[in-house]
Amino acid sequence: MSVLRPFKATDMFKFNNINLDIWTETYGIGFYLSYLARWPDLCCVQAAPSGRLMGYVLGKAEGAGPEWHGHVTAITVAPEYRRLSLAHKMMTLLEMVSERIYQGFFVDLYVRCANIVAIEMYEKMGYSVYRRVREYYGTLGVGKGGKDEEDAFDMRKPLPRDTARRSVRANGRDIVVPATDVS
Amino acid sequence: MSAAALDRQIKPIYDALDTGSNKSAIVACNKLLKKHPKNELVKSLKALALIRSQKVEESLVLCDEVLETKPTDDAVLTAMMHVLRGLGRHNDLVTMFEDAFKKQPTNEELGQQTFFANVRANHWKSAHQIATRMYKQFQEERYLYWSVISAVLQAKDANTPPTMRPILYKLAHRLIASSPTPSYVNAERFHLHLSILRELELWEEADKLIESDVGKSICSTSLACDEIRRAIMIQQGRYQQEAKRAEQLITEKKDRNWLEFLAVLDGTLPDTTPLIIGEADAREKVNHAQEIFSKIAEEDSTKDRSGLLALLDLEKRARLHGLSQEPTRMVSLLKQYFEKFGDKACCFEDLKPFVILDAESLSILRTFLEAIPTAFTTISELRRLINSFKLIRYTLSESEITAEKELIRVAAYARYTDYLASAPALALEHYRAMHIKQVQNDTLSHLILSRASTFSLGSIGDLTLLTECLESTQIYLSNTQETGDFIARAFQSEKYSQIPEFIVFEERLDNSLQRDTVKLEHIRMRIAHEPVTNDLIDMELIELKFIFDREHSDNRDFDILPNYQPKASKDLNEQTLLFGKPEGSKWLSCFLKVYIRGFQQASDIDDTVEEKLLIGDRPKKTAKYENGLTLKERLMQRGPEDFADLTEDEAKFIEYMNALIDWLEPYHNYARPPPDVVLAEAAKQTELKTGHPLKGVEVPTTNGHHKKDEEPPTIMDAPEVVVKYFDGVKERLPEAMKSSPSELLHVATLAQEAFLLLVAVTLRFKSPSVVKINKLSGLVPIFKTLRTNALSVLQSISAELVLRGKADGSSDTRNALISNCSPILTPQIDHDFLFINAKKIGDSRRKVLDGIGNGITRIRAAYSA
Repeated sequence: MSVLRPFKATDMFKFNNINLDIWTETYGIGFYLSYLARWPDLCCVQAAPSGRLMGYVLGKAEGAGPEWHGHVTAITVAPEYRRLSLAHKMMTLLEMVSERIYQGFFVDLYVRCANIVAIEMYEKMGYSVYRRVREYYGTLGVGKGGKDEEDAFDMRKPLPRDTARRSVRANGRDIVVPATDVS
Repeated sequence: MSAAALDRQIKPIYDALDTGSNKSAIVACNKLLKKHPKNELVKSLKALALIRSQKVEESLVLCDEVLETKPTDDAVLTAMMHVLRGLGRHNDLVTMFEDAFKKQPTNEELGQQTFFANVRANHWKSAHQIATRMYKQFQEERYLYWSVISAVLQAKDANTPPTMRPILYKLAHRLIASSPTPSYVNAERFHLHLSILRELELWEEADKLIESDVGKSICSTSLACDEIRRAIMIQQGRYQQEAKRAEQLITEKKDRNWLEFLAVLDGTLPDTTPLIIGEADAREKVNHAQEIFSKIAEEDSTKDRSGLLALLDLEKRARLHGLSQEPTRMVSLLKQYFEKFGDKACCFEDLKPFVILDAESLSILRTFLEAIPTAFTTISELRRLINSFKLIRYTLSESEITAEKELIRVAAYARYTDYLASAPALALEHYRAMHIKQVQNDTLSHLILSRASTFSLGSIGDLTLLTECLESTQIYLSNTQETGDFIARAFQSEKYSQIPEFIVFEERLDNSLQRDTVKLEHIRMRIAHEPVTNDLIDMELIELKFIFDREHSDNRDFDILPNYQPKASKDLNEQTLLFGKPEGSKWLSCFLKVYIRGFQQASDIDDTVEEKLLIGDRPKKTAKYENGLTLKERLMQRGPEDFADLTEDEAKFIEYMNALIDWLEPYHNYARPPPDVVLAEAAKQTELKTGHPLKGVEVPTTNGHHKKDEEPPTIMDAPEVVVKYFDGVKERLPEAMKSSPSELLHVATLAQEAFLLLVAVTLRFKSPSVVKINKLSGLVPIFKTLRTNALSVLQSISAELVLRGKADGSSDTRNALISNCSPILTPQIDHDFLFINAKKIGDSRRKVLDGIGNGITRIRAAYSA
């Protein structure tokens, strides 16, 4: 039971139950407004019928030529509403809009190499590792997860327009690029 | 010097400004101004550097010089835009761009800037006219749409008279229809078009757009357009049509958006009485819906909750209309749901609205829930168990609640218990651990800053809470500086659906209730920290007057605390309010009134003077002005309901302040120097500071003291309420000593505040010459008696606080605290943990009681001379 609707600027007053989770960052208001001012159709929330927010996704469209694609910048679900496939529903919307409105070749997202649960979830949704981005999340020093904590996988899912399936490569995990290449 | 050489010399100024080295920017500007005293760009850059160094008066002089030249140069305009924004002079910004655009009507960039300047100042009518002109001049359709939405925004503006609104929408409609390409070329234009049609209730035209192939396609890919489409359907009462469409989406496209389920439910049975269709008809519909939802519930199984929840909702509606066929159907659905989704964290929240059961069903549910095994090995089993506990607790009746041990006082509610335990340092520590930032400062700072002056140790130089106030208000500055730019960006990228939303967001943040509550709380702390001087009073007074008439928006988030309280009891927020009274707009208004009136008395700056001295735009006239009352009258408005949100101690404090101010009003009005004298003094100060005379102020030639024509008002004794106030506090003290430390502190800090404000409102008469000239020497002994009595009561309070601090921080109290801990909890909690936390609470209490106590001693010393 969740309502899928557009992310609105005033949702910033209501997203505390989602953002107080330590893995979800609260950015300056300019961050959210910059997404809404350009890609409002790639930003949506899931809300309970009571109006309480459950999760949201912020996305954008970017890239030149055959790299033109939809990108998932942030996707998050409040702890109390996890394991309800909400992320899946929001991703489906973002993929649909990337395909039909933006005519992108693929959708991609970044995930910590150490975040196995998330990686497996994205794999189930049809994403695969395209490349590994070194120190994408900043240098953390040698921590528990080591390199896997600071490196990101760039995961991609081809859209129908990618007829040659260029966004899928079998050896994606072995292709390592520096963070400067992607940002 | 060549232009290129000059450019080379200007570049370092920009670099200095970019890196925040305002001083070196000023030095560089001065150097260049020696050679090029008339250069507008250098002047405007210097004005900018001056503002950023808080040298407002000097900046103003340069700013006005540049404005007089009516600049058109892009660089000058950009620099001046930042200067004027910094000064809050949005109206002047508009004029500057409009003048420039008039001079260069073919400059498209300038046209856009002029448009945005008007948008920023909410001048929708001018914005509309400029966009119209730009559309004619540059033939870009975008500008036509800008003119359309400007009309819509003007209609939406709170200051537009209601009779004007339909006219503006009609104008917008006519314009959008005139567009050479239809609105459906993109979703955002389409959205704007639909929203205008909806406003004008032009259903036929709306239907045509929605039901066209391209319209259908847009609504299927744009959530925003679909939202407005849905609203249009519902406004027309087309529930049946919507239900049919939604049913198709649910069954064929596997759409699981709850909005579609709601559409089917609304098409079946309304969620309010009465039922318009006949019973047989309704039953048939219910059966049909039941069939669909049951099928979906079966198909989706544990993958999606919608099917089962829709069945629950349907049963709830059936009961409402007396169409339920089976008395135990609700409970059996609840059980089914729990079986399938009992291991989801949100199960309890999902089921809450449906726990409306008779005694028999309730007992069935309880038996079912109580049978959930309490032993668990998996997370899933544990979640199920927790959900069963939550639900059982929710079903408790009132008598059972009292019997049930209150389990709230565990870690999850640490902040509240911290405050309840009057350990503000711990509360702050806990709050900081939540890493509140950005916009959360607006929605969540109430957790720590509500009535925080009760715990502020500003009086002994501890600035922790004062700083917390200032930090929490940074977000409002970001809003002022940034949001406007994003509104402009939304125009540039033609995201019309976002523009009204951004404006609402900006206004809600700008007029935030929490913002001004914190502002007031900060002043309450400030007067205890700093000497109460005329400068402090003048500055704060202007700010308080600015916020007094705001239509406040309450953005505070109270839902963040989980609420697992029984249905029959109050929710957790209500149960844990500090002093049992919520802060709100009424509370704020009561305090604002006494502070503004008190500071007005103490200040020499009356409305005439302020009008001359204040730079920048004035506060927007809100609806509060509409009843035609002056500020003075609005400040005097009092009603018994004003006191609803005040604690008893606060109510007494406000009563005392009102009486005090009413009593002193005539003496202040008599003794206050006339406006021209005040202005002359201000002009003198400005000239000393900047070397330039104060603009627009004529210094009167007569100097020296002003002769009064009328006799001074008769000296009256202080009113009873004022005379007895501190004695009342003294009588209250023994009772407060027995109560929680918070309550004691509440009593103590209010008495401290009452004294400090007494100091403020009698400040004028401290000067013997003022008293003498105005023949008000009769007041002096009255003030003296009041102050002496107040100081003596404060002395006893201070002593009691220090004593209580010693007692509460002692090891005896700590041990008592430990042994008082609920016997249910103690076996499961490590003794060291209990000990450490009890010690922390004791230490924190001692710190605050001691601190406030010593602070009062300091204040007494400072003002007893």
